[in-house]
Amino acid sequence: MHARASSPSSFAPLLASIGLLALWELAARLLGITGLPPAYDALRELPAILGDAEALLNIAASLRRMLTGFILALLLAVPVGLCMGRSERLAAAFNPLLMIIYPVPKAALMPIIMLWLGIGDASKTIVITLGVSLPVVYHSYQGARAVEEKLIWSAAAMGMGRAARLWRVVLPAALPQVFVGIRTGLVLALITMVTSEMIARQTGVGSILFNALDMAQYTTVYAMIVIVGLLGFVLDVLIEKLRYSLVQWAEPTHEIAVGTS
Amino acid sequence: MIRIEGLSKWFEPPRRPRHLALDDLSLGVGEGEFVSILGPSGCGKSTLLYMVGGFVPPSGGRVVVNGKVVVGPGPDRGPVFQEFALFPWKTVLGNVMYGLLEQGVAKPLAEQKARSLIALVHLDGYEDFYPKQLSGGMKQRVAIARTLAYDPKILLMDEPFGALDAHTRTGLQRELLEIWERARKTVLFVTHSVEEAVFLSDRVIVLTRSPGRLKATIGIDLPRPRQRAELLVDRRYQTLVVEIERLMDTPG
Repeated sequence: MHARASSPSSFAPLLASIGLLALWELAARLLGITGLPPAYDALRELPAILGDAEALLNIAASLRRMLTGFILALLLAVPVGLCMGRSERLAAAFNPLLMIIYPVPKAALMPIIMLWLGIGDASKTIVITLGVSLPVVYHSYQGARAVEEKLIWSAAAMGMGRAARLWRVVLPAALPQVFVGIRTGLVLALITMVTSEMIARQTGVGSILFNALDMAQYTTVYAMIVIVGLLGFVLDVLIEKLRYSLVQWAEPTHEIAVGTS
Repeated sequence: MIRIEGLSKWFEPPRRPRHLALDDLSLGVGEGEFVSILGPSGCGKSTLLYMVGGFVPPSGGRVVVNGKVVVGPGPDRGPVFQEFALFPWKTVLGNVMYGLLEQGVAKPLAEQKARSLIALVHLDGYEDFYPKQLSGGMKQRVAIARTLAYDPKILLMDEPFGALDAHTRTGLQRELLEIWERARKTVLFVTHSVEEAVFLSDRVIVLTRSPGRLKATIGIDLPRPRQRAELLVDRRYQTLVVEIERLMDTPG
């Protein structure tokens, strides 16, 4: 990452984005469908949306729910996954449950949760938490299971207790895997955020998007999609930065091991 | 110091017959003694060491260390594994300090102790390196320093040089002897190399192939300090190596 992050890779995403926009523009002009406005028209909407206080409040509300759900999920899912990875009994109990819940689209649970908790923040946050939890549990579990037993034994010989070993040995050793789950979880957080707001339209990016769709304001729809995409991109970059700073020790190195003995 | 009493270990895999790894082994190790456990692969010699360490519970019998029955790991018994088992997220210094901090030693003192141990294993200058940046031999030096740091009375070494090339291996054997001759810790050393066992030990225990039973105990009364170059041409050393190799080749 460090060596390659220089010139070619910083251009590549820019080039890809421009390519995608060009393709979109071309398709819109050639096909002439009302549901597909040209890229230029959609992008021209962006300053208006981002300059509008109400739209910004909506985006902020979405982000707040997403981050709350995301962080709640991490606090819940990482310990569960790690415990499962180190206890065969726990894994045997939880695994079938996960297998059933994992493929269920979490937004499909939204109507039920709304029955219990209403259409406000609580329902949406819980659905996001659910969506993020599963990949994080799964990858934490895989990561904890793969931790070399002798690493844990070495800590035990130093006098470290069971709970401390989970927190101070299993967690750091599994962290590269945990981050795979966190990154997948972020994408799911975005998806469930938008869908939950589509189902319970009060505030948020999703409600603007789908209200615009209902009113056939297609340029707004596409502009909102671009905004969601940008949000995802920025958040992913932040997560990657965090990951790199925390698990740099696990990155493959190009340096040749020093010395021979 | 260590009393191994009627120790057995069997594994019971589901839907398969019980596998007996170690069968009714009794053995005593005196304080400051260097004892090697020698045997073909699958004789349960590593399992024996793990039970002394308290990492694996015995199926039968018990291990008594300093008058107390072993029920789990403890800082009186420091392991060194073939796989090094360093904490990859910690630097060399962080790894060596880890046990000291765990024992409640204040950070400045722990760091000072760790630095002197790192110098002892000839790794000064590498304090801030991560394990992935080190060669196998260097990793094992760090692992030895990390275990020595919390000053266990007993060292449990599980084929510590088994993953290293011949040159590195003999170098580390020599360094280990130098350290041991100064500190005189009790060492239980598992290996499958006859030369290594004879070169290092006061006593060599030979186990039979699966299940592991006591086959022979051979006292190694070669003078110390030992020099590899001298030993290799020493008649007594050669005889011991040949004798033990022959012993290992005979079945039963």
